[in-house]
Amino acid sequence: MNRRSLTPGEIVRNVLLLLLALLALFPVYFSLVNSLKSPVQYAQNLLNFPATLHPENYSLAWVQIRGPLLNSVVVTLSSVLATVVFAASSAYALALIDFPGRRLLFGLVFALFLVPDFLTLIPLYVQIKALTLPSNYLAIILPTVAAGQPFAILVLYAAFRAMPRDMLEAARLDGAGHWALLRSIVLPLSLPILVSVSIIRLVPVWNDFLLPSLVLDEVHRTVPVALVGFQGGGAATGSTPNYGALMASYVLSALPLVVLFLFLMRSYVQGVTSGGVKA
Amino acid sequence: MPSRPLRRLREGWPAYLFVLPSVLLMAYFSYVPAYTAMTRAFTDWDGLNVPTFTGLENFQRALTDPVMGQAALNAGIWVVLGLVLAVLPPLLVAELIFNLRGQRRQYAWRSLFVVPVVVPSLVLLLMWGTFFRSDGLINTVLGSVGLGAWRHDWLSDPSTALYSLIFLGFPYIDVFFLLLLYAGLQNIAPEVFEAGKMDGAVGWRRVLYLDLPLLRPQLGLIALLSVIGNVQYFISPLVLTSGGPGYSTTVPALLMYNTATRNGEYGYAMAIAVLLMLVVVVLTGLSRLVARERA
Repeated sequence: MNRRSLTPGEIVRNVLLLLLALLALFPVYFSLVNSLKSPVQYAQNLLNFPATLHPENYSLAWVQIRGPLLNSVVVTLSSVLATVVFAASSAYALALIDFPGRRLLFGLVFALFLVPDFLTLIPLYVQIKALTLPSNYLAIILPTVAAGQPFAILVLYAAFRAMPRDMLEAARLDGAGHWALLRSIVLPLSLPILVSVSIIRLVPVWNDFLLPSLVLDEVHRTVPVALVGFQGGGAATGSTPNYGALMASYVLSALPLVVLFLFLMRSYVQGVTSGGVKA
Repeated sequence: MPSRPLRRLREGWPAYLFVLPSVLLMAYFSYVPAYTAMTRAFTDWDGLNVPTFTGLENFQRALTDPVMGQAALNAGIWVVLGLVLAVLPPLLVAELIFNLRGQRRQYAWRSLFVVPVVVPSLVLLLMWGTFFRSDGLINTVLGSVGLGAWRHDWLSDPSTALYSLIFLGFPYIDVFFLLLLYAGLQNIAPEVFEAGKMDGAVGWRRVLYLDLPLLRPQLGLIALLSVIGNVQYFISPLVLTSGGPGYSTTVPALLMYNTATRNGEYGYAMAIAVLLMLVVVVLTGLSRLVARERA
């Protein structure tokens, strides 16, 4: 470290940031240490690292959370994948094909930014309840894909617009159809932005609570819905839950996102900072 | 020979195929429910049977309901305090990081503040629910620093329940807002800072006279998103307090939800939803207007 970088101001800034970062990460610490405590240890001290560990909390939590975790993974992955595939195909047509009704369609997609979720929540619930679906998963996947379209189409439209036109024209002269063009040129070239859109969309889908709590049955419920259900329980009685098992289930429910962000942190940061996009 | 528009329509067929899945999904899962909401607001509807038209009755009821008045007041307090929490902490952190020396150090700090994204939002909510309990973290900390008299069952006391929910989530550094502000600071041309330095705009003065005015588009967006988000937000009262004790944490959006799911009064619920949407539309319109005046 060179001398210039250690001015008093620089030290103060780093210390302040460290303090704020620790506070922001406090829930992570809190759930980790308490997930290893017995009810007595929890009652004695909420903040220390326990002297004797109670990993059995995790097996208690795992029994309860593994079903919802699997459901969340299935729902989130399929809905994000379908969101990006459908949005890419629409964005391709809107950005690179000239056809009658293009402006109208564009307007219809973006008008949806003005429709707030709470307005459609209840009618959507009534509508889905009346629908006979081959799988209960679809009750949340389909509306979530629909809800993701405006944002995903907006970002991909901008990316496809910025594509080098001469390359596309050359491919068309060589006889490539729209489908081939999309698959072998447009999509590979925009892979980074596709990843960014996916991961930005993934976080709210993973965290979604309201609609899933209304339309998913007991067997198919996702992590957020299941966690709310554990509140009284956590394998204990009445008003005092088994906090250790509860915290262990919190830790387990965060693991898939932890793994994902280990690899895709950079795409997330770049995606959010690359434009004034609405998460 | 077919007319020109017809031929163009026929030649456009691949495009229609490309947009078909999105259009069908959005039509059925976004446009139809929005239409249902807006038309059923004028009816008496139980969610199952044929609605009967009642005109403006639902709206009259919503506007005169004293519970709705309390809920609107709660939402107002929430929006104002929520705005401060949405703007100040992310701005502070963005400025701190931006003023560090070295790109690599800035990148490391920025990434560290993104890490809490991995905590599912419901987990954060429920964990704060345990902090607020009588045997929870907040009371323990108060007791250990000699402020035992302040101990409280925070969510069961009508005078503290609403504020407990609003101030849940310390230190309130929203990742998305932080990144937005940081990107905004980075987009300011270095020449502007150089020129500012000549005029004595350094340290606090630079933040006040240069950064804040130049960050106006980002700050405006954050303010708008925060206000609109908080007008319609109701997950924490739904999960942690069910709107109680009494109606002390009830907000209009929660009232809308309960009216439909608990009481089965779907028509009335839709009227509340439409009123809320009007608020959102008016706020959005106002902010556009303000942005244009300034520009």
